Order: sequence, then C-alpha cells, then structure tokens
Amino acid sequence: MRILVPALLALSAPFLGGCGHAPGDPPNPILRPSTVTDFTALYSQNCAACHGANGQNGPAIDLANPEYQALVDDATLRKWISGGMPGTEMPAFCQSHGGMLTDAQVNALIAGMRKEWLKANAFGAAAPPYAQAQAGDANRGAQSYRARCAGCHEPTRQQVTSADYLSLVADQTLRSIIIAGRPDIGQPDWRHDGPVGNATTALSTQEVDDIVTYLGSLRNVASGQAASSAQGGR
Amino acid sequence: MQRIKQTAIRIYGWLELRLQLEAPVKDAALHSVPRNTASWWYVFGSAAFTLLFLQIFTGILLALVYVPAAGEAWNSLNILNHQIPLGWFLRAMHGWGSNFMVAIVLIHMAQVFLFGAYKFPRELTWIAGVFLLLMTLGMAFTGQVLRFDQDAYWGLGIGASILSRVPFIGGGLVHLLLGGPIIAGATLSRFFALHVFVIPGTMLLFVFLHVWMVLKLGINEWPMPGRLVRRTTYIEEYHRQAHEDGIPFVPGAFWKDLTFSGAVLAAVAVCAFVFGPFGPGGQPDPAIIQTVPKPDFFFLWIYTILSYLPPSMETPFILIAPLLGIAFLLALPFWAAEGEKSWHRRPVALLAVSTIAVCWGVLTHLGTTTPWSPHMSAWSSDPIPPHYLQIATPLVRQGAVVFQAKQCRNCHSIGGAGGERGPALDEVATRMTIDQMRFKVVTGGGNMPAYGKNLSPAEVEVLVSFLETLHPANEPPAYDASRRTIETSQADDGATTRTNRNATP
Ligand code: HEC
Ligand code: HEC
Ligand code: HEC
Repeated sequence: MRILVPALLALSAPFLGGCGHAPGDPPNPILRPSTVTDFTALYSQNCAACHGANGQNGPAIDLANPEYQALVDDATLRKWISGGMPGTEMPAFCQSHGGMLTDAQVNALIAGMRKEWLKANAFGAAAPPYAQAQAGDANRGAQSYRARCAGCHEPTRQQVTSADYLSLVADQTLRSIIIAGRPDIGQPDWRHDGPVGNATTALSTQEVDDIVTYLGSLRNVASGQAASSAQGGR
Repeated sequence: MQRIKQTAIRIYGWLELRLQLEAPVKDAALHSVPRNTASWWYVFGSAAFTLLFLQIFTGILLALVYVPAAGEAWNSLNILNHQIPLGWFLRAMHGWGSNFMVAIVLIHMAQVFLFGAYKFPRELTWIAGVFLLLMTLGMAFTGQVLRFDQDAYWGLGIGASILSRVPFIGGGLVHLLLGGPIIAGATLSRFFALHVFVIPGTMLLFVFLHVWMVLKLGINEWPMPGRLVRRTTYIEEYHRQAHEDGIPFVPGAFWKDLTFSGAVLAAVAVCAFVFGPFGPGGQPDPAIIQTVPKPDFFFLWIYTILSYLPPSMETPFILIAPLLGIAFLLALPFWAAEGEKSWHRRPVALLAVSTIAVCWGVLTHLGTTTPWSPHMSAWSSDPIPPHYLQIATPLVRQGAVVFQAKQCRNCHSIGGAGGERGPALDEVATRMTIDQMRFKVVTGGGNMPAYGKNLSPAEVEVLVSFLETLHPANEPPAYDASRRTIETSQADDGATTRTNRNATP
C-alpha cells in the first residue's frame, strides 16, 4: 500500500500536470474551412498549385514578383481572385461566383500578398499602366516584338507566339508579364526587354500596347476559349 | 478500530437479513468448474463484460457534457476535447473502449465457436451471445453517429443507402432510422436514444441472461478429441468431471479473468493516452465538400466491399449477405448441437474461422490503404514540383496550368502529391506516346473520365505537351517512329505544337 499510492501518483502525473503534452491530447479544433483567414494556409490551399509554392516557380504567373505587386492594385486583385479571369484557367474563388472562399478570405489573401511580397520602390521608373488604355497596332507590335523579344523567343524553340498558347492566355496576363516580368522563369521586366542582356531603353507604354495587340492577333480563337474577354483591370 | 469493524458487521447483517444475497453469490463464486477451464483461452468473455462496464461508466460521464442537438453536438465534443481537463482522455477511453470491445467480443465468439461451446445445452447462451454481438456493433455504429461530424454523416449515409435498398419498405425504414427523410436534428435525437437507452438497456438484460446461463450450465469443459456431446448423457458427464476433477471458480479460474481484464483496461488507457480521442472531424455540413470522410475502423470492410462490387451486385449482396450470416449464426447450435467439440476434429470450422479472419483483415487493409476517393483539393493546393518546369516552354507551362485547372491532379499524383485513383503520371511519357496520351485524355476509359467535350483543342494540345515532358531525364519519352519524319518537316513552323524539352532561352 505504501508503495502503491506514490506509484499511482507518479503514473497519473502526466495527466494531472502537463496534460497538454500527452501524445493523445488533440491539437486545436478543426476550423470550419470558411473561417480560415491565415494567409499561408489560404494561399497554399487554393493558389499554390498554379502560382507556385511561395508565389513563384509555378506554371502560372508569379504573384510573389514585387514588380507585379507594385503594378496591380487591390481592386483588380479582388476582381480576378473573386471572379476569375474569364476565358482563362484562372478560376473564380469567391462564393458569390461559385467558389469556396468568403469575401473576408479574399481580402485576407490580398492583404497577405501585399505584406509578404510587395516591396517599397519595386519600380525604379514609372511603369506603363497595368491596364491597356488605348488601342495598339499589330504591325508596329510585330516590329517591336522582333526587336525586343525575338532575340530570346526564337520561334522554333519557344512558343510565345504559338496560337495554342496564346488562345489560352488573356491579353492582360501577357501585359502583366511583359511589364513586371517573371523573375522566376527568367522573363525580364519592361525595362530590360531586348537582345539578351543588352536592353538600352525601357519599352514605352505604346510599345507594350502594340506587342500585346500583335500577340493577340496571332491567337487562333477557334482553337481556344474566347481568351481576350478578360481584358483590362477595372 | 474494533468499533468500526463491529458496526460494519452489524450493517452487513442488517442488509443480508433482507437481501439474502450471500448464498447465491457464494454459490456462483465457489461453484466447481472443470480444472481444464482455468485457461487463458477462457478470459475473453469476462473481458468483454468488463469493457461493457467501462463503456457504461465513461458513457455516463460523457453524457454529462454532451448535448444531443444537431447544432450543439459537435461543439460539445470540442469543449470536451479542449476545455474540460482530461475531457479528451475520457472521450479517448470511450472510443478506444468501444474498439476493444468489438474486437474482444469477436475473439470471444471465435473461441467459443472453435471450442464447440455452443453445443447442447448451451444453445441459448450462444444465441444471446449472437444478439450481444449485434448490439455491440450497433453501439459502435450509433456511437460514431453521435460524434455528428463528417464521418458520422458518411456512416449514416451508407447506412441509409443500405436500408433504402430494401424492397417496398426501404423508404419507410430510412425514415425510421433518420427520423425524417434526411439527416437532421431528429436523427441525432433518435441515435442518442438508441445509444444511451434502448441498446444498452437491452444489452444489460441479455448480458444478465448470458452470464446467468454460464453460471447455471457451467463453463464449457476443454474439448477433447473423440469425446462427443450427446443430449442424453452430456449433463451428467459434465457434472462428474466438474466434481471429480474440479476447482472452485474463485479463485481457481477467476484470477486469470481478473488479470486479463486488468490488462485490457490498461491497454485501452494506453491507447487513449497515446492516440487520443476519435474526432470530431470536420463539422457535419453537406455544404463542406473539401473532405474525404471515412467510416470507423470496424466498418471499413463494408466500405471496401461496396467499392469493389459491380453495381448490379450491390443490392442483393448488401441485403442478403448479412441476413444469411445472422441466420447461420442463430441456426448453428441447433444444427450442430451434438457431436465433436474439439477443433482437431472439425477442420471445416477451423477453415471457416481462418478464412473469415483473413478476408476481414485483407478488406480492412484495403479500406485503409486504397485511396478510393479523389483528392478534392489537389488541383489548387499541390504545386507542380519546380524542377518539372525548369526548362519548360510557355506551352508546357500552360499545359501544367490546364492539368491543375481541369483537376487531373485530383486523381493523378505528380511528384508524390495528388490523388491516387489513377496512376501517377511522373513517368507517363515513357509508357505512352503523345498520340496515345491525347487519345486517353479525349476518350477516357477504365475509370478515367473522357475529357473530349470539356477541353478545347488548344487545351488538349498544351496538356499533352506537358504530359510529354513527364519522363526521367535519362530516359527518353516513348516515341512513335512514323512520327519522326513528319516532325522534322515541321520543325521550322513557328506555331508547332510539339514540345522541345531542351528549349532554353
Ligand atoms: C488552376 C490554376 C490556378 C489557380 C488554382 C489559381 N490561379 Fe490565379 N491564375 C491562373 C492563371 C492561368 C492565370 C493567368 C490567366 C491567363 O492565363 O491569362 C492567373 C491569374 C491570376 C491573377 C491575375 C494576374 C494578372 O495578370 O494580373 C491573379 C491576381 C491571380 N491569378 C491570383 C490567384 C490567387 C490569389 C489564387 C488563389 C486563391 C489563384 N490565383 C489560384 C491560374 C490559377
Ligand atoms: C532576355 C531574354 C528574354 C526577352 C528579351 C524576352 N523574354 Fe520572354 N521569356 C524569357 C524566358 C527565359 C522565359 C521563360 C522560358 C520560356 O517560357 O520559354 C520567357 C517567357 C515568356 C512568356 C511566357 C510566360 C509564361 O508564363 O509562360 C511570355 C508570354 C513572354 N516571355 C513574352 C515576352 C515578350 C512579349 C517579350 C518582348 C517584350 C519577351 N518575352 C522578351 C526570356 C525573354
Ligand atoms: C476521376 C479520376 C480521374 C481524373 C479526374 C483524371 N483521370 Fe486520368 N486516369 C484515371 C484512371 C482511373 C486512369 C487509369 C485508366 C485505365 O485503367 O486505363 C487514368 C489514366 C490516365 C492516363 C494513362 C496513364 C497510364 O499510365 O496508363 C493519362 C495520360 C491520364 N489519365 C491523364 C489525365 C489527364 C490529363 C486528366 C485531366 C484532364 C485526367 N487524367 C483526369 C482517373 C482520372
């Protein structure tokens, strides 16, 4: 008896004292999916598959690019995330558009991206605007393309000009990529387009407009979904 | 000290005069049983009995906090888990106790069967036991429903769909089970009543009868090959054996029962401590579809059978097989009331038990390991491993986007992440040519949906150009020789849809 009591106490000590440490003590309760507002959780659950684990190195545009974050405003982000980019593979996430996320969660995503990925002064110079403001000219665009892009995008090797590729991406996506670049895959921003490592001047807004118009004209619309319906920011 | 002792004896005497329990208890404890029944093989029944009382005890404590209302049940379990000190341990004891109880009851039953203990005159004991098994399973099932999380929803859904297959009255039965046409508040009240009053009450009654008969008819003697049971002589023979070569039940055989029951309780506690309580999983809300619920362990085999059966076989199998099984168990003691008890002379019995055990094990294993359901969130959450895209072209990258967007990933894993309904596609290009892949994607086949109508031609092209890059660096993709000629002639075409893996900027 004299041994038994201390022995029992010793055995039950983990229960009485540090019961938080028992291996079987369950961790936090499972949250309702719609109450999660942690950016990392939301991003890795909903976006990482296409935009890459940390906003880069995914197949779709790298959201972690500070220049992209500087280029785009909150309202535009909200619009694309909530409603998707029509005609592209970017899905709608907001419940009001048939997705899974609440407005609060979309806002949490935007706030999180800004906090993690936006850097002050990402742009050295004033960039062309996010959305295209005036019509471009495909012929001029073709010339600019040859001068500023083709050096890297030699047609047989890389299919930026492939009708199939173009029919699946929106003009706006092309524009975002041309202006902000995609550092994760080696696509330079608008200041550095040109013969490899040898860009003397930044692309003008006009040139960006023209190149996007040119690429758009190569699209085989019949082959893809109507891709250019996702134009413009606001 | 002396005074206390005297008072105690006086109180005992006062009670005994009125209750008169001493004689029957002594009778039961000291009755003589054949010496060879004091075996470690005979401890499972008493362990099941002990577990039943563990379940009643922990169950009452749980009921103090649990709220059997649809909106509250889930919360009250979370309160138990997270706010009440050791509430989680209580839940874990009850949950593990239930698993152990099902297991011990099944082992007990197998042992009784193999030892021929269901034979004359113990037929009714066996039949009560069959009902006790059914009730134990019923407790496990209704208990899982009380968790009222997504798994519970799942279990109920299956239960309801099984019932709904009963001809003519299926709809009525579902209504009866769920307390309405759908799973709702009334369902929970119904299952609470079943789990807390109806089944345990009936169970206690049956346990009483079962134990009563065990005491009255005596513990089954150790079966000897060649010693046959005959209705005319058995009882006399048994009594002779119990008295000539017998020992009093307490403590002769009882200490083994006590030790084993204690060990089982300890095992339950260890499991509860180490593995914790079951669930509650996600909230039971049919609107939440981001989960893959699974039933509790003991019902997994049903899950497996259901997923393997061809649809035309399901209804007959589900409805008829359990009835046949139960009918067989109930008929067994009448059909084989006499004869050989020893398993040495009953090869069929031995074979049957081992076959059932193996089947059960295999089905359960399949149920735990086979990924039946697609991975519902893989398409948006599992990144493509970056090195798969390192030297990709825009076309390939777009193909990877389509692969995710069309949710191929939910069934096919890449880089070890994703669903496993279909084969992993990491090296698909080594087994299929680009045309075969295009054909597979468009026409589907063998559980692979046909995507022909849901993909534009451009999407198909970028998709297969992505798939074509899926091969190890040192192993070239499968190649259709007749294509090479065509391809070389296309090589200068800027809008070619072929993919060149070696593209670099
Ligand atoms: C199924 C793949 C997929 C998923 C999942 C996905 N995206 Fe996208 N997203 C794309 C694609 C593809 C584009 C570019 C559209 C195009 O091709 O023109 C895009 C574009 C965008 C853009 C606009 C880029 C621009 O040009 O301004 C934003 C912002 C964006 N995604 C944010 C998100 C966020 C945030 C999530 C997670 C909630 C997410 N995406 C999930 C595929 C996806
Ligand atoms: C310094 C070399 C270089 C220049 C100049 C360049 N690019 Fe790229 N670009 C790349 C690389 C590297 C990639 C990634 C590899 C690939 O997709 O082939 C790329 C990819 C792209 C993509 C595909 C992005 C994606 O998400 O799949 C587009 C669109 C693109 N470039 C457009 C252009 C346009 C338009 C120009 C001219 C304004 C241009 N690039 C100039 C190097 C360059
Ligand atoms: C519902 C689950 C499911 C989805 C979604 C799915 N597949 Fe499949 N897929 C399968 C199954 C199952 C098989 C094996 C079929 C068989 O037995 O022939 C398969 C086979 C394949 C194969 C042949 C692989 C091999 O090694 O034999 C390819 C290629 C393939 N799928 C591509 C895709 C693509 C691309 C998508 C998206 C457009 C997709 N699958 C979507 C289930 C799925």
